[in-house]
Amino acid sequence: MEVERVRDKVFEERPGFPTQYGPDRTDRQPGSPLVPHETYRDLVTVLLLTAMLFFLTAAIVPSLEKPRNPAETPFIVPDWYVLFSYGLLKLAEILPEFDMPGVLGLPGWRVTAGFWGFVLTNVPLIYLVLLPFIDRGRETRPAKAPLRSAVGVSFLFVWMFFASMYSVNNLILEKWPVIGSDDVLKAFMFVPPFLAFAGTYIGLRRLGYAPMHWWRVVPLMAAFLVTLAHSLLILATIGGWSQYGLVALFLGLLTGITFVPAFAVTWLPEKNALRAIMAVGGSLVLFTLALWFLLWYYDPASTFGTMVVLVPNMHTVFALPIFSFITAYMSLRRPYSTYEYLLNECYQCGKCHTVCPVTKVEDDAIGGLNLVYNSFKKQHDGVPMWTCLACDACSAVCPLDIKYSDYILEERAKVMGQPAVDGGGEE
Amino acid sequence: MIPEYGPGRTVPHPVLFRLLDSEADDTTVPEIKVEHRSEYAYYPGCVDYYDQEMQFSHANYGETNHGIIFDSSIKLLRAVGIEPMILDRSFMKCCGHDQLWQGKVDLFRKMRDYNAKIIKMLGVKTLITSCAEGYRTFRLDYKLDGVRVVHITQILFERGLRVPATGDAKRIRVAYQDPCRSCRQMPVDPVYEEPRELIRRVDNADLVELKTFRADAQCCGVAQMMYCNDKTKGLTYSRMDEAREAGADYLLTACPKCLTHFGCLHHENKWRPGEERYKYRVMDITHFLAERLPGPWPTGGNVDERRKEPPLPGKKGGG
Repeated sequence: MEVERVRDKVFEERPGFPTQYGPDRTDRQPGSPLVPHETYRDLVTVLLLTAMLFFLTAAIVPSLEKPRNPAETPFIVPDWYVLFSYGLLKLAEILPEFDMPGVLGLPGWRVTAGFWGFVLTNVPLIYLVLLPFIDRGRETRPAKAPLRSAVGVSFLFVWMFFASMYSVNNLILEKWPVIGSDDVLKAFMFVPPFLAFAGTYIGLRRLGYAPMHWWRVVPLMAAFLVTLAHSLLILATIGGWSQYGLVALFLGLLTGITFVPAFAVTWLPEKNALRAIMAVGGSLVLFTLALWFLLWYYDPASTFGTMVVLVPNMHTVFALPIFSFITAYMSLRRPYSTYEYLLNECYQCGKCHTVCPVTKVEDDAIGGLNLVYNSFKKQHDGVPMWTCLACDACSAVCPLDIKYSDYILEERAKVMGQPAVDGGGEE
Repeated sequence: MIPEYGPGRTVPHPVLFRLLDSEADDTTVPEIKVEHRSEYAYYPGCVDYYDQEMQFSHANYGETNHGIIFDSSIKLLRAVGIEPMILDRSFMKCCGHDQLWQGKVDLFRKMRDYNAKIIKMLGVKTLITSCAEGYRTFRLDYKLDGVRVVHITQILFERGLRVPATGDAKRIRVAYQDPCRSCRQMPVDPVYEEPRELIRRVDNADLVELKTFRADAQCCGVAQMMYCNDKTKGLTYSRMDEAREAGADYLLTACPKCLTHFGCLHHENKWRPGEERYKYRVMDITHFLAERLPGPWPTGGNVDERRKEPPLPGKKGGG
């Protein structure tokens, strides 16, 4: 009886609740119809774009390059969107060429650099094929799928960028001879993608508030050890402190910047670790920059000498301190408002409102007091937040497992002037 | 920052919370006297405070007996071969659940640090609570490394509590209220099955489920002691109505807060003997089980033997 009354009074007159079904429906359809509304709008857009094309072709004469001169070799480079593939073909020379023997009656064939280039071009595709099997989460947002995003950043941005850069390696070495040799450019293909992968993964895991334990230590400690080893190698190569005191000083500072995060995440409690990184690491970075600037100001030649020694090796001693500092900061920082971030998952299915016990008894709840919605939209003036029983009936039915009670906990603590992420304690 | 609209205006037991809050400020460790040192520790929580509050507040004239939870727990633990070390309120503080959920995080931190220090000092391996809120707080909000926190029903179930046959031919229908803190708020080890299994072990008890149960169980109406108004009473009503519709003889719960508020409303709706609105008993599950065990109550059971019936409304202290 109650159901019929409600349906008659509330639902009947409203669009979106048809009482007839099937092709013979005669009642008013919700929304605007395809013909003529949508068709008309689309037609306007299409005509406008066509008009713009006509205008552009009439107004702008396409530039023609200078005539072909048989005397000079043209600079061969493909279009920008396949530069990476060209770079990988060039890079493939580091991989071995050999004869593949024929098996099972099939003819043998020669594995060439062309074949390797093809394989390398397809490496990101292999990841794309494998990802649905590795990362089986239901999240599609990049910030919520750390593994997927890290692979994406690493391969689709960094790796492809440096691969494209390698396609014009001779030009780059001509323009910036300070980089050193072709080998350095090759190293750019492998070190920065790995660092981008580790940094992105750790940072996003942290943002999603997943627990981060021992494995945060591993990349930072490895970065420190690699930097240390490489610094010692450089010193041994160039002859130690007496000859290049300035270089040794900078190497020490860079190693120190790498050491601080590694030490902090390994031995210090989390909150102190962030403080230590911000204090020591920040001052080290500033000190290094200041020293560099002063030296450059008073003695440009000597600074240039330091650069000449350091920059060809920059893929570790320069990249790793920056990586360590950013990764440690990202993996230790507390997002300002975690549960606002988590609540952004909500797609307003309204199950929480249906089960909320407070809504059942509040008099002004007839469309009025929706605790979850009002708190989420910050339309609460305190009432929904303090009326909530934190009984978690909403979280029990939430299809996305949003812990609304944790949000309440944090918001209440904020009102009382206390930040209280996860119970107000260290992770 | 002075909150514009905070818990201060709505907490219905201000004296109780002033008392608990003021405790938190004094962090000096008093002389610790434990009768029986053991790696099993039982933390009774603040039930004695609630007992005082309930006995003397205007709403409830002494029917709800929280002290019996302590006695029953000790009796049950002894029955499964555990002689627990009692984490007495003389040297422990409140677990801080209510303070945390009322937003007083600084007080909660003080209590947590103090309690964790004492627990570590005493070398506790297993911490047993009879309170759902205590279970959640010690398990999730304290970071007690190396201490296993269990709800009492879990350890009774694990150690195989046997309830001897009462020989009573009369069947009783027993309903169990899932407290939110020990059930759906626990991402690990929620206490769903253990209390039900323990109730089934009582030979003449039939477990009946309420209209909503387990993770969907409706709230008892009050959490973190923040409100006592017609709205929360309405929730408690609807929950107790569910128990009446299920035809329960006993409404059991594992949380002293649920017990408090069910008991309060149960008593308010008792006009004179035989005219109750709710004709069932509201009890803690430890009390229910311990009643069915032979043997004396450890500290006398906090029960006045002369008193057969609960006192009528208007008679303070049961006199």
